[in-house]
Amino acid sequence: MAGDKGTSMPKSRMFLLVLFKSLKVRRNRVAITFFSIMIGAAIITALSSVYFDISAKMSRELRAYGANFFIGPAASSGNRNVDRQTIDDAIKMVPREKLVGASTYIYGLVRLDLGNAVMAGVDFPGLRKLSPYWQVEGKWIAVDFDEDSCMIGKNLARNMELKVGDSVNVIKNETGFQKSLTVKGIVETGQAEDEQIFVNLSLAGRILGQAGKVNHAMLSIVTEGTDIDGLAAGMQKSFPGLDAKPIRKVSYSDGKILDKIKGLMAIVAVIILTVTTLCVMTTLIAIVSERTREIGLMKAIGADDRDIARQFLAETLIMGVAGVAAGLAAGFILAQVLGQAVFGSYISFRLIVVPMTLVPSVAASLLAAAIPVRMAVRVVPAQVLKED
Amino acid sequence: MEQIVLETKGLTKRFGNVTSLDRVDMQVRKGEWVSIMGPSGSGKTTMLNLLSCLDAPSEGEYILDGVATATLTEKQRVAVRREKIGLIFQQFHLVPYLTALENVMLAQYYHSMIDSKDAEQALVHVGLGHRIGHLPSQLSGGEQQRVCIARALINQPAIILADEPTGNLDEANEEVVLNLFQELHREGRTIILVTHNPELAEYSDRVIRLHHGRVQNDASAH
Repeated sequence: MAGDKGTSMPKSRMFLLVLFKSLKVRRNRVAITFFSIMIGAAIITALSSVYFDISAKMSRELRAYGANFFIGPAASSGNRNVDRQTIDDAIKMVPREKLVGASTYIYGLVRLDLGNAVMAGVDFPGLRKLSPYWQVEGKWIAVDFDEDSCMIGKNLARNMELKVGDSVNVIKNETGFQKSLTVKGIVETGQAEDEQIFVNLSLAGRILGQAGKVNHAMLSIVTEGTDIDGLAAGMQKSFPGLDAKPIRKVSYSDGKILDKIKGLMAIVAVIILTVTTLCVMTTLIAIVSERTREIGLMKAIGADDRDIARQFLAETLIMGVAGVAAGLAAGFILAQVLGQAVFGSYISFRLIVVPMTLVPSVAASLLAAAIPVRMAVRVVPAQVLKED
Repeated sequence: MEQIVLETKGLTKRFGNVTSLDRVDMQVRKGEWVSIMGPSGSGKTTMLNLLSCLDAPSEGEYILDGVATATLTEKQRVAVRREKIGLIFQQFHLVPYLTALENVMLAQYYHSMIDSKDAEQALVHVGLGHRIGHLPSQLSGGEQQRVCIARALINQPAIILADEPTGNLDEANEEVVLNLFQELHREGRTIILVTHNPELAEYSDRVIRLHHGRVQNDASAH
């Protein structure tokens, strides 16, 4: 029975034929394996996608917790004040997309109707972005040209018997300046602000007799992707009279929180992979168990251990790659749902997510196949072929 | 005098303290049809497992077509099985999701090269030329057994080992399979057949009777 070219079949074709028919006939178990791998891959894809976006997005979220950059007069200059223009120019060095908010400040002691108080001149729109966590009864002052209103700390308001809508006289004896202001909002921060009165920066300068001068500026800058130390150094080089520096405690906390969230995501990914591996392993063990006679037959008619291992690994690989491909697509959709729910924005697609999902998922599938393949290879044909 | 294809010397198999096969000496010549008979527990299945290289003996020698197999590794035994033995089972044992033709081609796949024409011819030879595209579940017991026979023959083995080949067949199919064995015998094939069926054994050249793992009788069937 010598074969001729016209009717001979490549061994690879026969291998694939057996492979796909074997998968087709066990479509239920194949479906379980496929969906297990798909769900695992989808979660890893979603977590990896969020992982790469989280730094940028969380960094912005964390900026809700206050300023993390300080600009003031250089200690060596001996000045307590600097020109407002100089500080404004320094602030302009911060890339626009990285600046969440900024306000310049000038402080001084003033007399109110019922006693003395610390007055802070601020840039209200900038301050609001800088300190979104402030609890305000009444309203924020929304514009930086409102010279008829003020905001007042909760404790100070209580001591001065002031409520939202009341008028308060601000008096500076040294300059003879006196102005009546309407309390637009009462501020509660739990810190020094609770004892202060806040007015427009320009007005404060005139009240204190220091028009055009400020004490310092506080900024909130997105740290992710920003060389914050380089920025500080650049400012000091351009403005030798200024001291520009990141507020270490806040910047460091940002990083710590991000690291913890990333670590948590990595742990979740490892748990998911472990569960997927166990699920796939259980299903593959069931598949091998119901195929022992078929394996015994293949061995009896000439299949060696390598043939059996190749068959089962190839089946697992096909289910693994198909599951991962579907998981990548599902995971990207899941990432968008997470992005919308947590950050209110879409998560960008990054190519790195593909190998980050493919490699561990397929590796987990093949790892899951290790015990079932070992079981298959150890089938003793003489035993299983005699069993009825 | 025909050449000896299969020879055992002191072939012994023990499972723990139980000796299943005890110092069996036998010779089978080329073209000979030998039936192995005996009651349950006499060692027939153990004998067949050793002769088909599905198992290794505890002691003794087994030479198959010039190859001393007793000391071979599992991998080498697989190669001997693939190259020199055609196996036929009582329960047919076909891969359920492959057609009759593909089941025969599977034996070619593990042996050497695949030729669908040759596989088809093997099925025609056993009278199944019209059933090549059918799955085992679409075939009768007799037809499934004939696919097994075609598969056992496809690689031109030195010896055909059959374990109760008619054990699961009705009378009509038993006759078809028996005729096939007779035809194979006439073609000069070497056949060793384990059976309970004295009528089937009558067609062989020689009957070896086993009892408690030993050869009780080795004589002509006629």
